[in-house]
Amino acid sequence: MAFEDVWKKISWLYYQYILVTALYMLEPWERAIFNSILISVAGMAVYTGYVFMPQHIMAILQYFEMVQ
Amino acid sequence: MYCYPEDKVQHTACNGSSGLGLYSRPFIESFEETPMLVAVLTYMGYGILTIFGYLRDFLRDWKIERCHVAREREEQRDFVPLYQDFENFYTRNLYMRIRDSWNRPICSVPGAKVDLVERVSPDYNWTFDYTGKVVEGVINMGSYNYLGFAENTGYCADASAEVTMKYGVGVASTRQEMGNLDRHEEMEELVAKFLGVESAMAFGMGFATNSMNIPALTGKGCLILSDELNHASLVLGARLSGSTIRVFKHNNMQSLEKMLRDAIVHGQPRTHRPWKKILILVEGIYSMEGSIVRLPEVIALKKRYRAYLYLDEAHSIGALGPGGRGVVDYFGLDPRDVDVMMGTFTKSFGAAGGYIGGRKELLEYLRSHSHSAVYAASMSPPVVEQIIASMKCIMGEDGTTLGRDRVQQLAENTLYFRRRLTEMGFIIYGNSDSPVVPMMLYMPAKIGAFGREMLKRNIGVVVVGFPATPIIESRARFCISAAHTKDMLDTALSVISEVGDLLQVKYSRHERLIYDQIQD
Repeated sequence: MAFEDVWKKISWLYYQYILVTALYMLEPWERAIFNSILISVAGMAVYTGYVFMPQHIMAILQYFEMVQ
Repeated sequence: MYCYPEDKVQHTACNGSSGLGLYSRPFIESFEETPMLVAVLTYMGYGILTIFGYLRDFLRDWKIERCHVAREREEQRDFVPLYQDFENFYTRNLYMRIRDSWNRPICSVPGAKVDLVERVSPDYNWTFDYTGKVVEGVINMGSYNYLGFAENTGYCADASAEVTMKYGVGVASTRQEMGNLDRHEEMEELVAKFLGVESAMAFGMGFATNSMNIPALTGKGCLILSDELNHASLVLGARLSGSTIRVFKHNNMQSLEKMLRDAIVHGQPRTHRPWKKILILVEGIYSMEGSIVRLPEVIALKKRYRAYLYLDEAHSIGALGPGGRGVVDYFGLDPRDVDVMMGTFTKSFGAAGGYIGGRKELLEYLRSHSHSAVYAASMSPPVVEQIIASMKCIMGEDGTTLGRDRVQQLAENTLYFRRRLTEMGFIIYGNSDSPVVPMMLYMPAKIGAFGREMLKRNIGVVVVGFPATPIIESRARFCISAAHTKDMLDTALSVISEVGDLLQVKYSRHERLIYDQIQD
C-alpha cells in the first residue's frame, strides 16, 4: 500500500519534470536521448565528487591549519 | 471581494480635472507580474525545444526521417526557393507537436455545451484519423457566445427559418447593385437605434469591416494613433490606408497624450505641415488581455486635442453595460462623442458580420466610398434576421425580459467566475468586469497539456501561445456566456482547479483565502 503511494508520488514528480523541461511535447525517442544525456552528465558529476571529495576536504582543513 | 496591493483604482489627472469626475465606478485591473523562476524555466523549455527542432530539421534534410512539410519537386531543387524553410521553424517544430488542441471539429451548435468529433493521430499530429465517435456534452468555455444567442431553437432561430423560406439563402449581388434587401434597411435602422447614433451600416464580415473601411476614412497625410495590442484587422486597415501610424502603449493615457502633443506641435515628419486628421484606434475589450479601454480619458483627450476616435467594440457590444449597449453604456457616456463606432455581430448576437455607426454624413460617405460596400456580396437573409431578432430581444422590444435577464446573468457569471479563479490562486489578467478571462500558463508544454487534460474531463477550452501572445506569456482564454448555469460554472471551476493542481499552474503570489485552504 505504501509502495503504491510512493509510486504515484514519483510518477507525479516525473510528470512535473516532463512539463517544465518541455519533454512532454517530444516523441519517446527524443525523451530517451535527453534523459540519457542528463543522467550521464549527472552521473559523471556524482562520480567525480565521490572520488575527489576527500582530497578536497583534507586540502581545505590543512589550509585552515585544523589538521596537519 | 478580493483586493490586491498593486491594483489601482484609476483616478485620472487629465488636464487638471479632478479624477473622480470622469469615472462613475471603480476601474479595477490587474496584470500580475511573471514570477522570475517561471520565466527562466519557460525560456529553458523553449531552448530545449529549439535544440530538438534543429535536430529534427537536420534529420529531415538528410532524408533520415520522412518529411511531411511542403517541398519543391526534385526537378526544381536548384531554382530560387519557393518555400521559406526557416520561417516555418516554429510551425514545424513547436506548433505541430500540440496541434490537436486547435481546429477541433464541432458537430453541434456551439452553445453552452457542444459535441466534438473524436480524432486520433498515428503520426504525432501530422495527420488525423476520425474514430467515428462523438464526444457529447463538452462544456464550452471557448466560444464567443456572451449572451447565449448561439442556439438552434427559440424565437431567433424560428424567425431566421421563416425568412429563409421567403428570401432564400444567397443574395447574388453586392449592396450597390441588386443586393439591398428591405431586411438590410430595417436591420441598419435597428442597429442605429440600439447604439444611439444617427445612422449605421452593416457589412458581411467583421474583419473586412475594419480592413476595408479605415482606408476610406484616412489616407496619406493623416496620422493614426493605434494601441499596442490592436487586432490584426485594425493593423491591416491602418497599413492599407497609407497614413503614418504611431503606436502608443497599451491603455496608457500618458503615452497617448504625449503622442498627441508631439503630433500637433511638430506636424508631419519633414515638411512640418499640420496633419490633415488624427485618428485614434482603440478597442472596447482587448480579447487577449481581458482589459477594457479607458474610454472617459480617451474622449477627454480627443476633445481637447481635436482628434477623431474609432472604437472597435467587437467583444464589448452586448457584453458590457447595464443595457448591453457596449463600453459606452458601461461608462455612462454619450454615444455622440465617439466619431466612428464599429462592432461585430459574431460575438454577442450569434450571427456574422460587422457594422459601423456614426453621424449621417459619415455613413453616406462610407456607403459610396467603402470597398466593402461596393465590391463585397451583401449579407445573407437568415443572418440578417438573426441580428434583428437578437437585437430586439436585448432591447426588450419583443415584449419579454429575456434580453435584460441575459445581460444581468452574464455580469453575475463574470464576477463569480473571476472571483473564484483568483481565489484558487491562478494568475488572471484584465479588468474585473470583462467576460474574457485569460489565465496564464507560461510554459510551452503546459499549453498542450492543459488543452488535452481539460478535454479528457469534458471541458473545451481555447489555449493561446506565440505568435498571438508574447513568447513567454502563453495563456488559456475562457469566454463566459449567459447560457452557462451556475452548476456548469461550478463543474468547470472544480475541474480547472484539479487540472491546475496536476499541472502546477497556480502561480499567483497573493495570499489565498483561508476558506479555500480549509476546503483543500
